[in-house]
Amino acid sequence: MVTVLLVILGFFAGLLGALTGIGGGVLLTPILALYFGIPIREAIGTSLVAVITTSAASSSVHLQRHTTDIRLGMTLELATALGAAVMAYLVGYFNRNFLEGLFAAFLLYSAITILTKGGKFRHEDALPPATNGDVVIPPYEPQRYPLGLGASLVAGALSGLLGIGGGPIKVPVMYIFMNVPLMVATATSNFMIGVTAAASAIVYYRRGDILVEDAAPLAVGVFLGSLLGARLAPRIHTKVVVYLLVAIMLYLSGHLAVHLLRGWL
Amino acid sequence: MSQLREPAFDRVVAMVLRVGAFSCFFLMLAGLLFGLFVPGRIPLGIERAGVLLMLATPVVRVIVACFLFFREKDYRYGWISLGVLVILMLGAVFGIGEH
Repeated sequence: MVTVLLVILGFFAGLLGALTGIGGGVLLTPILALYFGIPIREAIGTSLVAVITTSAASSSVHLQRHTTDIRLGMTLELATALGAAVMAYLVGYFNRNFLEGLFAAFLLYSAITILTKGGKFRHEDALPPATNGDVVIPPYEPQRYPLGLGASLVAGALSGLLGIGGGPIKVPVMYIFMNVPLMVATATSNFMIGVTAAASAIVYYRRGDILVEDAAPLAVGVFLGSLLGARLAPRIHTKVVVYLLVAIMLYLSGHLAVHLLRGWL
Repeated sequence: MSQLREPAFDRVVAMVLRVGAFSCFFLMLAGLLFGLFVPGRIPLGIERAGVLLMLATPVVRVIVACFLFFREKDYRYGWISLGVLVILMLGAVFGIGEH
């Protein structure tokens, strides 16, 4: 029964992720922790598997449209993978309540960021056209590598800490500071998530923090959900979906906070 | 330099990711369905293989890109890929924390 619920959960997280461009990992960890009784660290490790699945499936699509800068991605991965692996190692020594509190704060922060920047940072602009025709990308030269590497280190550390992709950090940095077109920045960030999440997931797995019997149904659902989402994305009014996502994030953040307070009282 | 639009390179890397994602999906699905009829260790073993293959897919992607860069005599990015690979392997070596 739990298995069926996990497939359904993965399906909706994958669907929402593909529709909004905001990875489903941010929803999976708190839901696993709050409603499936999985300790927070195992919840993070388990949702990392789903994050890798999403990245592999979606970035293979971006690659076929030739919007991914593999060289830029590989360079920044030096920093994201390092940050992710080191942080995943350190998480073993962190207090679980601290992790839960951090996650609640991160959800609240992300929800507010999406709401305030929602209009400015339109996801549709970042999507390559649905046709397989030639995508016109103006010539560009990535700049400010030190800044890009620094931001990637932070994004990687956050990924290792919370089991998320870190797209909300990498995309703006590449787009605004490194002079990379938004479409390329989005595809490249997506591309990097797989390696970043794998760097931390390997550490989580070695520690026994990936629950295979939960990760499998979750990944199956996420895979199906993101395939459907990628097909629906051009036809669905994204704004409504984004508000739905923000509402869920705020709710989960609140529930995590209540959960924490109950533990202390 | 930004070197986008190298169709062959992109296609090979895309293929690695796609094959990885699809094989994992089918392995995990097989494990789940099998588990409906024969609960026990075998379905869990299949699911574990799926999870491990998922963790390995990005690593294989880095290895393939590394190989392609060196074959193109693009040494700079070949070494960068190798560096990423070393970091990924470090994670496998030091992955022990508080239980």
